[in-house]
Amino acid sequence: MKGEEKAEKIEIDRRYCKGCMLCQYVCKFEVFEPGGERSALDYLMPRAARVENCRVCRLCEVHCPDMALTVVAKRKGGEKK
Amino acid sequence: MNPLGEKYLRKDFLPFLFCPGCGDGMIVRAFLEAVDELGVIDDLALAAGIGCSAWIPVYIHADVLKILHGRAIPAAIGLKATRPSRRVVVFTGDGDGLAIGGNHLLHAARRNIAITVVVVNNQIYAMTGGQVAPSTQMGARTQTTPYGNLEMPLDACKVATAAGATMVSRWSTAHPKALTRTFKRALNHKGFALVEVISQCPVQTGRYILGSGASHFNLQWIKDHCVPVDDPSKMGEVEAQGKIPLGDFLRVEKAEFMEEVQRMNQKVKETRFKGGDR
Repeated sequence: MKGEEKAEKIEIDRRYCKGCMLCQYVCKFEVFEPGGERSALDYLMPRAARVENCRVCRLCEVHCPDMALTVVAKRKGGEKK
Repeated sequence: MNPLGEKYLRKDFLPFLFCPGCGDGMIVRAFLEAVDELGVIDDLALAAGIGCSAWIPVYIHADVLKILHGRAIPAAIGLKATRPSRRVVVFTGDGDGLAIGGNHLLHAARRNIAITVVVVNNQIYAMTGGQVAPSTQMGARTQTTPYGNLEMPLDACKVATAAGATMVSRWSTAHPKALTRTFKRALNHKGFALVEVISQCPVQTGRYILGSGASHFNLQWIKDHCVPVDDPSKMGEVEAQGKIPLGDFLRVEKAEFMEEVQRMNQKVKETRFKGGDR
Protein backbone atom coordinates (compact mmCIF):
# COMPACT_ATOMS: atom_id res chain seq x y z
CA MET A 1 0.00 0.00 0.00
CA LYS A 2 1.10 3.52 -0.69
CA GLY A 3 2.19 6.05 1.96
CA GLU A 4 1.82 3.61 4.79
CA GLU A 5 4.52 3.05 7.34
CA LYS A 6 5.42 -0.46 8.31
CA ALA A 7 7.28 -1.77 11.30
CA GLU A 8 10.47 -3.70 10.80
CA LYS A 9 10.32 -5.22 14.26
CA ILE A 10 8.90 -4.61 17.72
CA GLU A 11 11.38 -5.04 20.51
CA ILE A 12 10.20 -5.89 24.02
CA ASP A 13 13.00 -5.60 26.54
CA ARG A 14 12.84 -8.70 28.69
CA ARG A 15 14.85 -6.99 31.45
CA TYR A 16 12.11 -4.47 32.17
CA CYS A 17 8.75 -5.85 30.96
CA LYS A 18 6.22 -6.49 33.72
CA GLY A 19 3.59 -8.14 31.54
CA CYS A 20 0.81 -5.61 32.14
CA MET A 21 -0.41 -6.25 28.57
CA LEU A 22 -1.39 -2.60 28.01
CA CYS A 23 0.35 -2.82 24.62
CA GLN A 24 -2.07 -5.54 23.58
CA TYR A 25 -5.01 -3.49 24.88
CA VAL A 26 -4.18 -0.20 23.13
CA CYS A 27 -3.18 -1.79 19.80
CA LYS A 28 -5.93 -1.40 17.22
CA PHE A 29 -4.35 -3.87 14.78
CA GLU A 30 -3.98 -6.89 17.06
CA VAL A 31 -0.23 -7.04 16.76
CA PHE A 32 0.35 -8.43 20.25
CA GLU A 33 -0.74 -11.60 21.93
CA PRO A 34 0.06 -13.12 25.31
CA GLY A 35 3.31 -15.01 24.99
CA GLY A 36 4.75 -17.91 26.91
CA GLU A 37 8.15 -16.41 27.66
CA ARG A 38 8.90 -14.98 31.11
CA SER A 39 10.76 -11.71 31.57
CA ALA A 40 13.69 -11.19 33.94
CA LEU A 41 11.17 -10.09 36.59
CA ASP A 42 9.26 -13.36 36.16
CA TYR A 43 6.17 -11.94 34.44
CA LEU A 44 4.63 -13.49 31.33
CA MET A 45 5.54 -11.23 28.46
CA PRO A 46 3.45 -10.26 25.44
CA ARG A 47 4.65 -11.39 22.04
CA ALA A 48 4.59 -9.27 18.89
CA ALA A 49 2.96 -12.02 16.84
CA ARG A 50 1.69 -10.03 13.88
CA VAL A 51 4.29 -7.34 13.17
CA GLU A 52 3.06 -7.15 9.57
CA ASN A 53 -0.19 -5.53 10.86
CA CYS A 54 1.71 -2.71 12.58
CA ARG A 55 1.31 0.79 11.14
CA VAL A 56 3.79 2.49 13.49
CA CYS A 57 1.25 4.60 15.38
CA ARG A 58 3.45 4.00 18.44
CA LEU A 59 0.48 3.88 20.82
CA CYS A 60 2.02 0.81 22.49
CA GLU A 61 5.29 2.66 22.88
CA VAL A 62 3.72 5.68 24.61
CA HIS A 63 1.54 3.50 26.81
CA CYS A 64 4.27 1.12 27.98
CA PRO A 65 4.67 1.89 31.70
CA ASP A 66 8.12 0.38 31.88
CA MET A 67 9.56 1.92 28.71
CA ALA A 68 10.42 -1.59 27.63
CA LEU A 69 8.85 -1.46 24.18
CA THR A 70 10.35 -0.03 20.99
CA VAL A 71 8.80 0.01 17.55
CA VAL A 72 11.45 0.06 14.86
CA ALA A 73 9.98 1.48 11.66
CA LYS A 74 11.09 0.33 8.23
CA ARG A 75 13.31 2.86 6.56
CA LYS A 76 11.50 4.85 3.89
CA GLY A 77 12.83 4.25 0.39
CA GLY A 78 14.40 1.03 1.55
CA GLU A 79 13.69 -2.37 0.11
CA LYS A 80 10.22 -2.15 -1.37
CA LYS A 81 8.36 -4.65 -3.42
CA MET B 1 14.48 -0.38 25.71
CA ASN B 2 12.83 2.77 24.49
CA PRO B 3 15.39 5.17 22.90
CA LEU B 4 14.26 7.97 25.26
CA GLY B 5 15.02 5.66 28.15
CA GLU B 6 18.44 4.80 26.74
CA LYS B 7 19.22 8.48 26.59
CA TYR B 8 17.86 9.88 29.84
CA LEU B 9 17.30 7.16 32.45
CA ARG B 10 19.65 5.96 35.16
CA LYS B 11 20.21 2.38 34.01
CA ASP B 12 21.52 1.13 37.35
CA PHE B 13 18.22 2.04 39.04
CA LEU B 14 16.08 0.13 36.54
CA PRO B 15 13.67 -1.62 36.35
CA PHE B 16 11.07 0.81 37.70
CA LEU B 17 9.74 -0.18 41.10
CA PHE B 18 6.20 0.71 39.96
CA CYS B 19 3.61 -2.08 39.91
CA PRO B 20 2.67 -3.63 36.54
CA GLY B 21 0.34 -1.27 34.66
CA CYS B 22 1.09 1.77 36.84
CA GLY B 23 0.69 5.16 35.17
CA ASP B 24 3.84 6.65 36.65
CA GLY B 25 6.07 5.07 34.02
CA MET B 26 3.96 6.67 31.29
CA ILE B 27 4.47 10.03 32.99
CA VAL B 28 8.24 9.47 33.00
CA ARG B 29 8.10 8.81 29.26
CA ALA B 30 5.84 11.79 28.50
CA PHE B 31 8.06 14.08 30.57
CA LEU B 32 11.24 12.78 28.92
CA GLU B 33 9.72 13.34 25.49
CA ALA B 34 8.98 16.96 26.43
CA VAL B 35 12.51 17.40 27.81
CA ASP B 36 13.98 15.81 24.68
CA GLU B 37 12.05 18.08 22.33
CA LEU B 38 13.02 21.19 24.29
CA GLY B 39 16.60 19.99 24.88
CA VAL B 40 16.67 21.22 28.47
CA ILE B 41 18.06 18.16 30.30
CA ASP B 42 21.10 20.12 31.53
CA ASP B 43 18.94 22.88 33.02
CA LEU B 44 16.61 20.53 34.84
CA ALA B 45 16.41 20.30 38.60
CA LEU B 46 13.84 17.87 39.94
CA ALA B 47 12.37 17.62 43.40
CA ALA B 48 10.12 15.02 44.99
CA GLY B 49 8.72 14.10 48.36
CA ILE B 50 7.48 10.68 49.38
CA GLY B 51 5.06 8.46 47.51
CA CYS B 52 4.86 6.28 44.44
CA SER B 53 4.88 9.26 42.11
CA ALA B 54 7.78 10.82 43.99
CA TRP B 55 9.93 8.03 42.53
CA ILE B 56 9.46 9.45 39.02
CA PRO B 57 12.42 11.91 39.08
CA VAL B 58 14.77 9.41 40.73
CA TYR B 59 15.02 7.50 37.44
CA ILE B 60 15.77 10.59 35.34
CA HIS B 61 19.42 11.42 34.79
CA ALA B 62 19.22 14.98 36.09
CA ASP B 63 19.77 16.72 39.43
CA VAL B 64 17.25 15.33 41.91
CA LEU B 65 16.26 16.37 45.42
CA LYS B 66 14.43 13.81 47.54
CA ILE B 67 12.83 15.53 50.49
CA LEU B 68 10.60 14.93 53.51
CA HIS B 69 7.00 13.95 52.94
CA GLY B 70 5.07 16.87 51.49
CA ARG B 71 7.96 19.33 51.66
CA ALA B 72 9.15 19.09 48.07
CA ILE B 73 7.73 22.47 47.07
CA PRO B 74 9.56 24.56 49.73
CA ALA B 75 12.84 22.88 48.79
CA ALA B 76 12.12 23.55 45.11
CA ILE B 77 11.43 27.20 45.91
CA GLY B 78 14.77 27.42 47.70
CA LEU B 79 16.48 25.84 44.72
CA LYS B 80 14.82 28.24 42.31
CA ALA B 81 15.69 31.22 44.51
CA THR B 82 19.40 30.35 44.51
CA ARG B 83 19.59 29.18 40.89
CA PRO B 84 16.95 31.11 38.91
CA SER B 85 18.25 29.76 35.60
CA ARG B 86 17.34 26.14 36.44
CA ARG B 87 14.00 24.70 35.36
CA VAL B 88 12.66 23.28 38.58
CA VAL B 89 10.04 20.56 38.41
CA VAL B 90 8.36 19.01 41.45
CA PHE B 91 6.80 15.57 41.16
CA THR B 92 4.26 14.97 43.85
CA GLY B 93 1.32 12.72 44.45
CA ASP B 94 -2.15 13.57 45.61
CA GLY B 95 -1.37 12.74 49.23
CA ASP B 96 2.05 14.37 49.17
CA GLY B 97 0.92 17.51 47.36
CA LEU B 98 -2.65 18.06 48.51
CA ALA B 99 -2.80 16.67 52.04
CA ILE B 100 0.57 16.73 53.77
CA GLY B 101 2.02 19.46 51.59
CA GLY B 102 -1.25 21.23 50.73
CA ASN B 103 -0.27 24.38 52.54
CA HIS B 104 2.97 24.67 50.55
CA LEU B 105 1.10 24.28 47.28
CA LEU B 106 -1.15 27.24 48.16
CA HIS B 107 1.72 29.53 49.05
CA ALA B 108 3.91 28.58 46.10
CA ALA B 109 0.98 29.33 43.80
CA ARG B 110 0.33 32.64 45.55
CA ARG B 111 3.98 33.61 45.21
CA ASN B 112 3.95 32.80 41.49
CA ILE B 113 7.52 31.50 41.47
CA ALA B 114 8.49 29.83 38.19
CA ILE B 115 8.40 26.17 39.16
CA THR B 116 6.34 23.36 37.66
CA VAL B 117 4.41 21.13 40.01
CA VAL B 118 3.22 17.82 38.59
CA VAL B 119 0.50 16.38 40.82
CA VAL B 120 -0.01 12.72 39.97
CA ASN B 121 -3.54 11.92 41.07
CA ASN B 122 -4.34 8.23 41.53
CA GLN B 123 -7.18 8.94 43.97
CA ILE B 124 -5.68 6.93 46.84
CA TYR B 125 -2.66 6.60 49.13
CA ALA B 126 -1.20 3.81 47.07
CA MET B 127 2.24 3.23 48.57
CA THR B 128 0.97 2.74 52.12
CA GLY B 129 -1.72 0.25 51.14
CA GLY B 130 -4.83 2.02 49.93
CA GLN B 131 -6.02 4.53 52.53
CA VAL B 132 -8.45 7.34 51.75
CA ALA B 133 -6.80 10.40 50.17
CA PRO B 134 -8.07 13.97 49.76
CA SER B 135 -8.73 13.25 46.08
CA THR B 136 -10.72 10.03 46.65
CA GLN B 137 -14.18 10.20 45.12
CA MET B 138 -17.17 10.37 47.44
CA GLY B 139 -18.60 6.96 48.32
CA ALA B 140 -15.41 5.09 47.42
CA ARG B 141 -14.49 2.09 49.56
CA THR B 142 -10.88 2.05 50.69
CA GLN B 143 -8.97 0.40 53.52
CA THR B 144 -9.85 3.22 55.94
CA THR B 145 -13.38 3.87 54.64
CA PRO B 146 -14.83 0.33 54.37
CA TYR B 147 -18.41 1.65 54.22
CA GLY B 148 -17.72 4.43 51.73
CA ASN B 149 -15.95 7.77 51.79
CA LEU B 150 -18.08 10.58 53.23
CA GLU B 151 -15.83 13.46 52.14
CA MET B 152 -15.91 15.43 48.91
CA PRO B 153 -12.70 15.16 46.83
CA LEU B 154 -10.34 18.11 46.64
CA ASP B 155 -9.77 19.49 43.14
CA ALA B 156 -6.09 20.42 42.76
CA CYS B 157 -6.71 22.54 39.65
CA LYS B 158 -9.37 24.67 41.33
CA VAL B 159 -7.26 25.07 44.46
CA ALA B 160 -4.27 26.23 42.42
CA THR B 161 -6.41 28.59 40.33
CA ALA B 162 -7.89 30.14 43.45
CA ALA B 163 -4.47 30.46 45.06
CA GLY B 164 -3.13 32.40 42.07
CA ALA B 165 -1.25 29.93 39.87
CA THR B 166 -0.67 31.25 36.35
CA MET B 167 -0.81 27.95 34.47
CA VAL B 168 -3.21 25.18 35.40
CA SER B 169 -3.75 22.03 33.32
CA ARG B 170 -5.12 18.59 33.89
CA TRP B 171 -4.50 15.59 31.65
CA SER B 172 -4.41 11.88 32.16
CA THR B 173 -2.13 8.97 31.33
CA ALA B 174 -4.67 7.92 28.70
CA HIS B 175 -3.83 11.15 26.79
CA PRO B 176 -0.04 10.88 26.49
CA LYS B 177 0.39 13.24 23.54
CA ALA B 178 -1.54 16.04 25.26
CA LEU B 179 0.46 15.37 28.41
CA THR B 180 3.76 15.83 26.56
CA ARG B 181 2.48 19.07 25.01
CA THR B 182 1.43 20.37 28.42
CA PHE B 183 4.79 19.47 29.98
CA LYS B 184 6.51 21.43 27.22
CA ARG B 185 4.34 24.47 27.88
CA ALA B 186 4.83 24.18 31.63
CA LEU B 187 8.63 23.95 31.31
CA ASN B 188 8.64 27.15 29.26
CA HIS B 189 6.10 28.96 31.42
CA LYS B 190 7.23 32.02 33.41
CA GLY B 191 5.34 31.51 36.63
CA PHE B 192 3.83 28.81 38.78
CA ALA B 193 2.55 25.94 36.64
CA LEU B 194 0.44 23.13 38.02
CA VAL B 195 -0.08 20.03 35.89
CA GLU B 196 -2.42 17.49 37.40
CA VAL B 197 -2.17 14.03 35.86
CA ILE B 198 -4.95 11.52 36.43
CA SER B 199 -3.10 8.24 36.67
CA GLN B 200 -4.18 4.66 37.08
CA CYS B 201 -3.27 2.52 40.06
CA PRO B 202 -4.48 -0.99 39.27
CA VAL B 203 -3.31 -2.41 42.58
CA GLN B 204 -4.96 -0.03 45.06
CA THR B 205 -7.49 2.18 43.24
CA GLY B 206 -8.38 -0.55 40.80
CA ARG B 207 -8.91 -3.34 43.28
CA TYR B 208 -10.54 -1.40 46.11
CA ILE B 209 -12.44 1.46 44.44
CA LEU B 210 -13.11 0.52 40.82
CA GLY B 211 -13.51 -3.23 41.18
CA SER B 212 -10.75 -4.72 39.03
CA GLY B 213 -7.02 -4.88 39.26
CA ALA B 214 -6.54 -5.41 35.52
CA SER B 215 -4.37 -2.67 34.03
CA HIS B 216 -6.48 -2.35 30.87
CA PHE B 217 -9.66 -1.96 32.95
CA ASN B 218 -8.09 0.94 34.83
CA LEU B 219 -6.88 2.61 31.63
CA GLN B 220 -10.33 2.23 30.13
CA TRP B 221 -11.88 3.72 33.29
CA ILE B 222 -9.76 6.83 32.76
CA LYS B 223 -10.75 6.97 29.10
CA ASP B 224 -14.43 6.69 30.04
CA HIS B 225 -14.42 9.08 32.99
CA CYS B 226 -12.10 11.84 31.81
CA VAL B 227 -13.54 14.27 29.27
CA PRO B 228 -11.30 16.83 27.55
CA VAL B 229 -12.95 20.27 27.44
CA ASP B 230 -11.85 23.19 25.27
CA ASP B 231 -13.44 25.85 27.42
CA PRO B 232 -12.92 25.97 31.22
CA SER B 233 -16.48 27.25 31.64
CA LYS B 234 -17.73 23.81 30.57
CA MET B 235 -16.04 22.16 33.56
CA GLY B 236 -19.25 22.33 35.59
CA GLU B 237 -21.27 20.43 32.97
CA VAL B 238 -18.76 17.58 32.91
CA GLU B 239 -18.54 17.43 36.70
CA ALA B 240 -22.32 17.29 36.95
CA GLN B 241 -22.20 14.01 34.96
CA GLY B 242 -19.80 12.58 37.55
CA LYS B 243 -16.82 12.79 35.18
CA ILE B 244 -13.47 14.51 35.40
CA PRO B 245 -12.83 17.46 33.04
CA LEU B 246 -9.40 17.58 31.38
CA GLY B 247 -7.79 20.44 29.55
CA ASP B 248 -5.61 23.52 29.75
CA PHE B 249 -7.70 25.58 32.13
CA LEU B 250 -5.59 28.65 32.74
CA ARG B 251 -2.54 30.30 31.23
CA VAL B 252 -1.87 33.95 32.05
CA GLU B 253 1.18 36.14 32.51
CA LYS B 254 1.79 37.76 35.89
CA ALA B 255 4.78 39.20 37.72
CA GLU B 256 7.15 36.32 38.51
CA PHE B 257 8.67 36.14 41.99
CA MET B 258 12.37 35.80 41.08
CA GLU B 259 12.20 38.60 38.51
CA GLU B 260 10.59 40.82 41.14
CA VAL B 261 13.36 39.92 43.60
CA GLN B 262 16.02 40.87 41.07
CA ARG B 263 14.22 44.12 40.30
CA MET B 264 14.03 44.98 43.97
CA ASN B 265 17.72 44.19 44.50
CA GLN B 266 18.56 46.57 41.68
CA LYS B 267 16.36 49.29 43.15
CA VAL B 268 17.82 48.94 46.62
CA LYS B 269 21.37 49.08 45.24
CA GLU B 270 20.60 52.25 43.32
CA THR B 271 19.03 54.02 46.31
CA ARG B 272 21.98 53.06 48.52
CA PHE B 273 24.42 54.34 45.91
CA LYS B 274 22.65 57.69 45.87
CA GLY B 275 22.88 57.74 49.66
CA GLY B 276 19.15 58.22 49.91
CA ASP B 277 16.76 56.90 52.44
CA ARG B 278 15.53 53.30 52.03
